[in-house]
Amino acid sequence: MMRKIMIQIENLSKTFYQGSHVAAVLKEINLTIHQGECIILKGVSGSGKTTLLSLIAGLDKPSGGKVLIEGEPISKLPDLFASELRAKKIGMIFQHFNLFEHLTVNENVMLPLIPTGLKMKALQQRVDEALQVANIHHKKDSVASRLSGGEKQRTAIARALVANPDIILCDEPTANLDRDNSLLFIAILESLHRMGKTIIIATHDPLFDHLDFESIIIPMVDGEMV
Amino acid sequence: MQEILLSNQVMVFLLSESTLFILLLVAFVVSLKILLKWDFERFTPFQFALEKQAYLVSTIILFVFLLKFILVIYFIFSIDALSFLLPGAMCAAGVIKANVYGSYLLVLKTFILFGLTLWLFVHFYDMYTKNHRWFRQKSWLFMLIFVCILLELILDFSYFTNIDAHLPVNCCAALFGQLEGANPLPFGLSIASLLVLFYLFYILLLLTLKSGYTLLYLVTHILFLFIAYYAVVYFFGTYIYQLPTHKCPFCMLQPEYYAVGYLLWGSLFMGSYMGLSDAVCTLWLGKTNRKSQNIAIGLLSIFVLLCTAYVTVYYVRNGVLL
Repeated sequence: MMRKIMIQIENLSKTFYQGSHVAAVLKEINLTIHQGECIILKGVSGSGKTTLLSLIAGLDKPSGGKVLIEGEPISKLPDLFASELRAKKIGMIFQHFNLFEHLTVNENVMLPLIPTGLKMKALQQRVDEALQVANIHHKKDSVASRLSGGEKQRTAIARALVANPDIILCDEPTANLDRDNSLLFIAILESLHRMGKTIIIATHDPLFDHLDFESIIIPMVDGEMV
Repeated sequence: MQEILLSNQVMVFLLSESTLFILLLVAFVVSLKILLKWDFERFTPFQFALEKQAYLVSTIILFVFLLKFILVIYFIFSIDALSFLLPGAMCAAGVIKANVYGSYLLVLKTFILFGLTLWLFVHFYDMYTKNHRWFRQKSWLFMLIFVCILLELILDFSYFTNIDAHLPVNCCAALFGQLEGANPLPFGLSIASLLVLFYLFYILLLLTLKSGYTLLYLVTHILFLFIAYYAVVYFFGTYIYQLPTHKCPFCMLQPEYYAVGYLLWGSLFMGSYMGLSDAVCTLWLGKTNRKSQNIAIGLLSIFVLLCTAYVTVYYVRNGVLL
């Protein structure tokens, strides 16, 4: 059975201008990602991985081309609608976790759900589910600043999952983790893959070269897919 | 002339107006370029660049327009303050009539404020569509407003550079006072019929809004604004001043009357601008905003209540009407 197309990228390019210097960070990228696929964008720093993730998430606008999320052109949407689409369909995990250090794990994970207007009981139920999947439920009342790197990343995973998005974007998720925590992260990723989530990971970590589950590795060099 | 131009208020006012105009000029030139090349369906680098510029230009226009509202209030405050410099002037009325440009300038400013409110409405509707559906309408409206603002700037300078501080001007009593045998009210109305129309149009405004007949609501709104102006100057104002012969739209801005004029005229004009803009958007774009309708009616109700309160309080205290 043909799987649904989740993300369609057509002739995507991104250019930065610094005075007279023009830097083409992405050059005519074309990519189709189906539901449930796990895509690993591999490349050195400056190869355009993070920029590509930002454009897929609608955090930045391209210089040309289009990104369609389930047929919706996120690259053309005004900020208001792009944020709405992102909140519903995309969960993001960052290299530096991007947690609110003074809030507890529970509060950090609950934050993306606040604008939904759900009642507290329903909110807490969804937060608990996400904390269970990310294997960080036992630390729910701990303040984020007191967590280890691995715990912080698992909190970030729970936060990305709490709105039940179809797409998970990870930007160098294991860069600040030791080997054991990186393997734990990959194990959680595998469970997300089994849940049918579409996953895109930008990384240069060799641990992602031989995953135990089906994945597609796309090498990136100088803003191009090779 | 120099006394006027070098007064603090006028210098600040003209400098602010000129600065805002330069910003709008930049926005105008960029807007024109965007408008001619705009095609939202395209995914080319050029179209993406236009979209970024359009966002920037809209932000500039929004910022300038919000400041223009404050500047109109400052203009009124400035001309009121200038009345101390002009022989014969007791309030802003004498100053505004110091030369031929004043009245045109004031009318143009009120028209521009309506244009700005309408632009803000169209802008917010446009921002709440996925494909910037109202971008062209918004841009053309801005072009029209820009021409008016250019004319306003010319009139601003013409007005302030042509006030002779040594030439006596008329006071409000001479400008708005009833000449013997002459009726200053429109269509030969009496005060009683003016008041009947004032309350009638207010009630009609509420009814037409509920009925959904937008064109009727728009016309009623314009008529209410017209009648309300005369009702304040020739009836309600006399209760604010507590003097039956004192008829002036400006004196009530002064501190001795608790500057109630700002609240009175502010609620009338802001309510009218919002109500009229909503009605125009309904007819033009097919978009209606219930919240702004409610705010408009709320502001106009404050205006009507405030007017009525002055008369009621006077009657309760003195047992007679003026």
